[in-house]
Amino acid sequence: MSGARRRLLFFAGLLVLWEVLVRLHLWPDYVIPSPLAVARSLVDGLVSGVLPRAILISLRRVALGYGVSLLIGLPLGLLLGRTRLLQDTLGTLVLGLQALPSICWLPLALLWFGLSETAIGFVVVMGAVLSITLSTADGVRNTPPLYLRAARTMGAHGWRLYAGVILPSALPAILSGMKLGWSFAWRSLMAAELIYITTGLGQVLTLGRELNDMTRVLSVMLVIIAIGLLTDYAVFRPAEQRVRQRWGLQGGS
Amino acid sequence: MTPLSPSPVWKLELRGVSKTFRSSHGDYPALKGLDVSAAPGEFVCLLGPSGCGKTTALNIIAGLEQADKGDVLIDGRPVGGPGPDRGLIFQEAALFPWLNVRDNVAFGLAAQGVPHRERMRLADSHLEMVHLQEFAAASVHQLSGGMKQRVALARALALNPQVLLMDEPFAALDAQTREALHLELQSLWSATRKTIVFVTHNVREALVLGDRVLLLSARPGHVKREFRCELPRPRPMESHTLVDLAQTVMQDLRSEVLAAQQEARRERRSP
Ligand SMILES: Nc1ncnc2c1ncn2[C@@H]1O[C@H](COP(=O)(O)OP(=O)(O)OP(=O)(O)O)[C@@H](O)[C@H]1O
Ligand SMILES: [Mg+2]
Repeated sequence: MSGARRRLLFFAGLLVLWEVLVRLHLWPDYVIPSPLAVARSLVDGLVSGVLPRAILISLRRVALGYGVSLLIGLPLGLLLGRTRLLQDTLGTLVLGLQALPSICWLPLALLWFGLSETAIGFVVVMGAVLSITLSTADGVRNTPPLYLRAARTMGAHGWRLYAGVILPSALPAILSGMKLGWSFAWRSLMAAELIYITTGLGQVLTLGRELNDMTRVLSVMLVIIAIGLLTDYAVFRPAEQRVRQRWGLQGGS
Repeated sequence: MTPLSPSPVWKLELRGVSKTFRSSHGDYPALKGLDVSAAPGEFVCLLGPSGCGKTTALNIIAGLEQADKGDVLIDGRPVGGPGPDRGLIFQEAALFPWLNVRDNVAFGLAAQGVPHRERMRLADSHLEMVHLQEFAAASVHQLSGGMKQRVALARALALNPQVLLMDEPFAALDAQTREALHLELQSLWSATRKTIVFVTHNVREALVLGDRVLLLSARPGHVKREFRCELPRPRPMESHTLVDLAQTVMQDLRSEVLAAQQEARRERRSP
């Protein structure tokens, strides 16, 4: 409660500071517009339907790309975590690829898939799938040996050991991989939409720049931040919190 | 005394068990010619300095590790891998936090293919044995250390093992809780008459619980001396006979601890 109030006060203060700086006319309006102008542009965008349309398109893309990333990343991570051979070969490849910002895949994707949704989806998947895979593999590999020994003395082996012990014990790591994957998916999509002009939030942002409309640029940036934060707070944090508490990884509070 | 009977029928028998851990730093003998036997329903304590191979011995009996040499027999038959005829209890309770208390107790039963209804019934009746029936639906992080260890006990007993292996199960608990669990374990033992092999490095604990106490040597471990403890149960920790016996055992153990330390020092000097 007091944490929420502190946060509210901080951001209110920030807004006031912003407004005051603008009123001092240190910079021309088109460099830093006032918060009110940005809010007006935001409302305009929402009412005119430009923003809702773009948001829907971007959300659909990220959901699709993220879904595919989960479908690939989770099983791949489960395999990598338990198979030494795969870990040493494919695992090293995945780790290496993670050093590459996913947007660098765009030229390749355009050559492979042309100017298509598939090309954008590919970039999103390349952004999300690696961290999902690696976290899942990590979680599986770090199953406490004590759990494995206990389960084995009780006669569990094969899939029961996997589904009953290894997988649930990896769940906290899998969840944080999913959370990381989501934020990577969202960022990759925005980067791709900015560069490769198409519909979506990224395009509205680019358009704002081309029209020299700073208020629009800022309002779209706010929307992008809001969507990223919302999914984090509404989906991943509560899930993570519950699992961590249940798994005894933190004092229940 | 059983001098005239032909070799007694042991429930559990270890004959000349040796185990050496091999690593890039060199070989590391943990057990050398360990002989342990336990009659049906007997309570045997293994006592020895830290690092003398007690856990290794239990792991070998449980089938989690293989001996390099020697035999492990249950009812005269050699054991293979892990199996439900041997239950193992660790220093930490090793309960699964994603399952509630009842499902933890039922976990091994599921692995044995016991149908759901029967599983729940067995889990509940074993929770009752350790007086935790009200906690059946609780999650693991709501339990105290002592309660966790009792759930672990219920979980092991639910599989109806022939031999119960306990690896310093109460070492992490405070003195009062430990004493309460000693009493609880003894009443469970008289009710179920399981054969128990109990590892500890607490002399008093060994004497309070065991019919026989086997004193292991410093690494590589083998049985150095054997003490019988035939005091009536339940045995109060302060009983004079027990305190006297503890004194004798303590002396022997101390010399083994010293030997273990010297061994460690020698190893550090010559890597
Ligand atoms: N997997 C392993 N690889 C290499 N060495 C091992 C391994 N497990 C145990 N050891 C070594 O073997 C020796 C015996 O270990 P063990 O755990 O059986 O001792 P312990 O008697 O149970 O000791 P403690 O009383 O401290 O629990 C130790 O010196 C240990 O370092
Ligand atoms: Mg040990």
